[in-house]
Amino acid sequence: MNSLRCAGCRLPGAAVAVIAGAAKSVGGAHRARSADLRLMRRFTHHDGTRVMSGKREVVGYGVNGSPNYIDCSDFPFPAIRYREVTPEICAMREKEQGDWKKLSLDEKKSLYRHSFCQTYAEFQYFMPEWKLAIGITLWAISFAMLISLVSNVAIYDDLPITYDDEHRQAQLRRIIQLQMNPITGLSSKWDYSQNKWK
Amino acid sequence: MSTWANLGLQDSASPLMEQLIFFHDHALLILVMITVLVGYLMFMLFFNNYVNRFLLHGQLIEMIWTILPAIILLFIAFPSLRLLYLLDEINEPSVTLKSIGHQWYWSYEYSDFNNIEFDSYMIPTNELSTDGFRLLDVDNRIVLPMNSQIRILVTAADVIHSWTIPALGVKVDGTPGRLNQTNFFMNRPGLFYGQCSEICGANHSFMPIVIESVPINYFIKWISNNLNS
Repeated sequence: MNSLRCAGCRLPGAAVAVIAGAAKSVGGAHRARSADLRLMRRFTHHDGTRVMSGKREVVGYGVNGSPNYIDCSDFPFPAIRYREVTPEICAMREKEQGDWKKLSLDEKKSLYRHSFCQTYAEFQYFMPEWKLAIGITLWAISFAMLISLVSNVAIYDDLPITYDDEHRQAQLRRIIQLQMNPITGLSSKWDYSQNKWK
Repeated sequence: MSTWANLGLQDSASPLMEQLIFFHDHALLILVMITVLVGYLMFMLFFNNYVNRFLLHGQLIEMIWTILPAIILLFIAFPSLRLLYLLDEINEPSVTLKSIGHQWYWSYEYSDFNNIEFDSYMIPTNELSTDGFRLLDVDNRIVLPMNSQIRILVTAADVIHSWTIPALGVKVDGTPGRLNQTNFFMNRPGLFYGQCSEICGANHSFMPIVIESVPINYFIKWISNNLNS
């Protein structure tokens, strides 16, 4: 039981209210703390979580009572410390009880990395999947263009004769003479008094 | 007729089609406004860094975004119902035209005038003149007077066809064994084109309809020419 947490570690969280008063003293309360830990274990809803957390400390309530570890900016402090308990980290925790100005930068970093997997900057950074997405999209577009080019050259018949310039000019002249779409369409752009486009 | 790269509705030749175009523009405007609003909200989600972890409900905003769409729908519904009833108004037509769909041509009968009847076939592309409209021009057009109410009775001889002129806002299915009636009114002269609008076999795309709208004196002259011939 002792190996599960160092003497200096605190136990925050709602489930801890059950063990009020027993957590502070060390020697004689050892047996009480084991009983309390067993009590706390009974309050969790998934015993599999206890198995998975292994030798790592549970420091919170977790998701509806099941302690978990997740790096998420919405729920900042995971219920399980990331790494297992080691003697070095126990020593640093003792030092952490005192003045934080006395901790060196490396000690602060190792304390952080012991409890957490990634920093905010690391887990909020976006993955470079967009490069693959753009690449696949461009590939698909070029494949479609290739297929349409091959179809136009090798498969489809020629356009009907009415698509050539002479026919289209004649049809346009007839459209204007018939005043088709005279309100907002083609004939509305023709100036009939001067016989040219407006 | 649709001109090249025509995206919207054709210009109307009938007051009812004019009203349909106005309603279309009105409804489209409302839809565009809603789409822009929702698109903006969705787009701004990409740049949002805030999360409210303890959000449960917001009664006031939920009331607003239920009542407001209902009001917007009222703005669409009232013009729509008005137009619906306007299209069904009774009026007294002066000319009756019967249109019978066949595979794959239309035949027309003017029974008011001593039974004028003729068939209307599409002009094939290889027989088209230089300024002919491909798949639209026909050999015999329907001549009708402008500024008069016209009743049309549509039926079919074999399979279901559909008689339509987009510029007049008319589309009537012709079902064998049934007469469907509708009215229309043309307020300008010219040629109005349409194409069969119900799949009817191999040449469904090749049986167009052309109305030649003329002043009434020209119409009477055409009738008397046809009666004599």
